[in-house]
Amino acid sequence: MVRDRLLLYGVAAVVTAIVLAPLAAPGYVLRYDMVFVPRQPLTWDLVAPAQGLPRAVPMDAVVSVLTQLVPGWVVQRIALGGAVLLAAVGAGRLVPTERAGVRLLAAVGYAWTPYLAERLLIGQWGLLVCYAALPWLVRAVLELRAGRAGAVARVLLAAAPAAITPTGGLIAFGVVSLLAPRRGRWRGSTVAVVGVALLNAPWVTAALVTDAGGTSDPAGVAAFAARGENWAGPLAALAGTGGIWSAQATPASRGLPLVPLVTLVLLALAAAGFGLLRRRTSPDVSARLLVLAGVGFLLAALGTAPGAADVLRWAVAQLPGAGLLRDGQKFLAPYALLLVVCVALGAERLVTRVERMNREVAGVVLGGALLLPVAAMPDLAFGGAGRLWPVSYPADWQVVAGRLAADPGGEVLALPLSGYRAYPWNDGRTVLDPAPRYLPATVLVDDTLRVGDVAVTGENPRLREIRHLLGAGRPAAETGVRWVLVQRHRVDQVDPATLTGLEPVHQGAFLALYRNPAVPPSPVLAAPARWVVVVALAIAVVVVIAALFRRYAGVLLRGNLRSEVQTLEDWHA
Amino acid sequence: MHKAVTLVVTGLTAAVLGMLSLAGLAAATTATEEEAVSKAEELVEKAKQANEPDPYTPAIYGSR
Repeated sequence: MVRDRLLLYGVAAVVTAIVLAPLAAPGYVLRYDMVFVPRQPLTWDLVAPAQGLPRAVPMDAVVSVLTQLVPGWVVQRIALGGAVLLAAVGAGRLVPTERAGVRLLAAVGYAWTPYLAERLLIGQWGLLVCYAALPWLVRAVLELRAGRAGAVARVLLAAAPAAITPTGGLIAFGVVSLLAPRRGRWRGSTVAVVGVALLNAPWVTAALVTDAGGTSDPAGVAAFAARGENWAGPLAALAGTGGIWSAQATPASRGLPLVPLVTLVLLALAAAGFGLLRRRTSPDVSARLLVLAGVGFLLAALGTAPGAADVLRWAVAQLPGAGLLRDGQKFLAPYALLLVVCVALGAERLVTRVERMNREVAGVVLGGALLLPVAAMPDLAFGGAGRLWPVSYPADWQVVAGRLAADPGGEVLALPLSGYRAYPWNDGRTVLDPAPRYLPATVLVDDTLRVGDVAVTGENPRLREIRHLLGAGRPAAETGVRWVLVQRHRVDQVDPATLTGLEPVHQGAFLALYRNPAVPPSPVLAAPARWVVVVALAIAVVVVIAALFRRYAGVLLRGNLRSEVQTLEDWHA
Repeated sequence: MHKAVTLVVTGLTAAVLGMLSLAGLAAATTATEEEAVSKAEELVEKAKQANEPDPYTPAIYGSR
């Protein structure tokens, strides 16, 4: 038993090392939405964005707090390494089987899905944390259904990391509210559902108090809809857990003509494995898992179906919060988990049958099934075939951060207007502008998203006003910002007329900082509404602490580390 | 007979996995990030010579 568990952790560690090998080099991996900085300031805009949608609430606040204790590069490695490792171990432990090989198959399969690869390559590490927490959450909820002691605390502790992003929080809430309720055991499930709802409170309250409204540009529905990766189209891509909207975040191997056949093999194995899952859990649990996966799949496919896409476009433009659904492929995580668990059980059925005839062949079949996801997508290895590579920030960034810290107050406008940058010092990789996270000030970065030749308008009303002014040829000094940061990653991008009336403060090779003499420093005043978000954050923290106390207090008070089995035995005695 | 079956299944499994991974690696090496970046730089250079605006300004989030 212990040997099997060690083997599982060992294999998970090897997979993690293979996937994230380039992170052994020093520096920060900066790619699309993945931005880590040496020390992220705890600013109001990161805790509760006043004019933007809370897409990174409470993730940014958590990172800000952590980077006060350890450097950002350490946090990045812990987050990414932990996500891949715990995803693998969690999936391996979730499979209802006695066979170590089947557990390993699930572990490798769940850590080598197109979903993980694509979300890693687009830099959405917060979503990967949710993906990693998912098998642990499902396991905890199954324990809760079984009436195990301390299961509510486990559910909350597994849901907490998932809820660092709105999408992850919603997925966790969906899992708990769909799987936990059981006739005659309402108390535990109600506490769990309410607890997970409270973990979602920070981003919900942030969404309620922001001036950004809550509706989004419906152009995003088509731009972020699931994408076909090869001849088989978007639904087949989703069936294989891929199908992210971005071609740049898709491993090249996903375009191979054989990939749909691999998906077909996996689906056939999963179909065979579902019966075993039904027998080993219960018809009720397996049906609920199927519904959960089905809902995730439907949400992922919404943007691709003509009629449904129209409804989604209407919802995104009219209903606050519906914008969460426009990149629906994110919701495929529960489907990915059920697929992997059922594939593992399907492989077990196949291997058991083959074993009766030839044990060696059975071993080869199990090994082949274990290596199939890796062979079908070898370019996830080594950071997506070298796409993830750490770099160092030029010294300019530290200098500008120092200048702003020495003279606080007022907004910083980042020019040229663009949310994403392709810096030469980052090998031209596109990355979300690090300025709002690096600099100790409110940084205004254009929130228009350009997908191909489509511009998806952002929600920030202040940015809308600035775009309008600059578009009309007015100088940046008239926008009311106190600072202007020019990012000179490509020459001649900012019209000199835009900088008229500004005083240069720093002229570096990569960054230039200007002060607007017409705007005096102004202290950052937190509107009372923003304190509501802080209260929600505090409540979420209290939920986590209470769960930690419930889970570990007994162990600490007794002063020894008795096994969970013993604790359970005591409870039932 | 027993050994022959084992050998055949092992060979087939290795062949399928090998073929898949080689094809995947070939696809990855013919569509590298470096290639995409150099292509983008070529486009920027061409646009400069033709006195047209930089096609990658501002940086796009991605393409479908």
